[in-house]
Amino acid sequence: MRVPSLRANAISAALILSAGFALVFFYAPLDADQGFIQKVFYLHVPLAICSLIGFIVGGILAIAHLRTGDPRWDARSYVAIHLSVVFGVGVLITGSIWARASWGKWWVWDEPTLVSFLIVFLLYATYYPLRYAIEDRDRQARYASVFAITAGAFVPLNFVAVRMASSLVHPRVFATANGGLPGSMLLTFLVCLAGMALLWIALVRFELAAKAASASLSRLRRALDTDAHVAAPASRIAPGAPSGATTSAR
Amino acid sequence: MPALPLDEAGKYVAAAYLVFLALILTYVAIMAAKLARIDRDLAELADAAERTRPEPDPPDAGADRDARGGAEGNLFERVPEDERARNRPERPSGTGAAGFERERRSREELV
Repeated sequence: MRVPSLRANAISAALILSAGFALVFFYAPLDADQGFIQKVFYLHVPLAICSLIGFIVGGILAIAHLRTGDPRWDARSYVAIHLSVVFGVGVLITGSIWARASWGKWWVWDEPTLVSFLIVFLLYATYYPLRYAIEDRDRQARYASVFAITAGAFVPLNFVAVRMASSLVHPRVFATANGGLPGSMLLTFLVCLAGMALLWIALVRFELAAKAASASLSRLRRALDTDAHVAAPASRIAPGAPSGATTSAR
Repeated sequence: MPALPLDEAGKYVAAAYLVFLALILTYVAIMAAKLARIDRDLAELADAAERTRPEPDPPDAGADRDARGGAEGNLFERVPEDERARNRPERPSGTGAAGFERERRSREELV
């Protein structure tokens, strides 16, 4: 299967996300219960879904790293988790804004959905100190992979546990018992979700490309350093010296 | 809880979307700064590589020296070519175009 280029990926993400936001404000109807503030939902929920799935993807990539020992899988796992943490920051901030407008409070501690996401976010926030506390690159990658797998397994468990808990105030948008989303809202939501997923993929690929360029630069620097060391004895003989000078010693 | 009026809710919705935009722009700006640093480092390495490369003699310099009898050319200016050839001391193996080429090859092997 041919993978589209990063440029095509980024352009499609920008186009679909822009189309999704246009649908949010010009197509999707106002929510009968929440009114205009419900528009935050089209941003907050796709961010949360991409973030949580990104954490799971990070765990799957970490499994690939432990199976193969190839450091590229570790880099992919790291970047997936990194982007998911960035998206997680967006989830927490946009969720707080929505909570302030809808509930009158920035944060509610007795709401399982909020607290569980915060726990997952803080769990992944410890990934960085764990990773960078280890100097040896191989051990660092191995330990980070074990962490990513364990935490990645925790994410769906946490999600199911929260769904099973009786939520009091957090809306359940995909619940079918109360009718679920009407078609126009669902279409808008799905377009936003697709755009957000494409943005996540594009940013992951962007960061991976930057990491690959940085690694190539380090290799080049090491190679040039080695060249300089090797060439130093030769330069005493060769550069600029008359050719007879080299042979006079022979 | 009743829905907020549009003018009230609009501020929160705008804030949420602006936060998202700011988050993505900050991330992209940080990545762009990193890429700019990589680009700068790459340019510096390219300069360093150019500087350390030994400056080669012009390709016909050795041949020209051969034609003039090498470094000793001035001493044999008035001597005919055949006599000059007969009197010419045996040239050390590293002089002239062949010597230059041999030397270049040995340098390349070292590197």
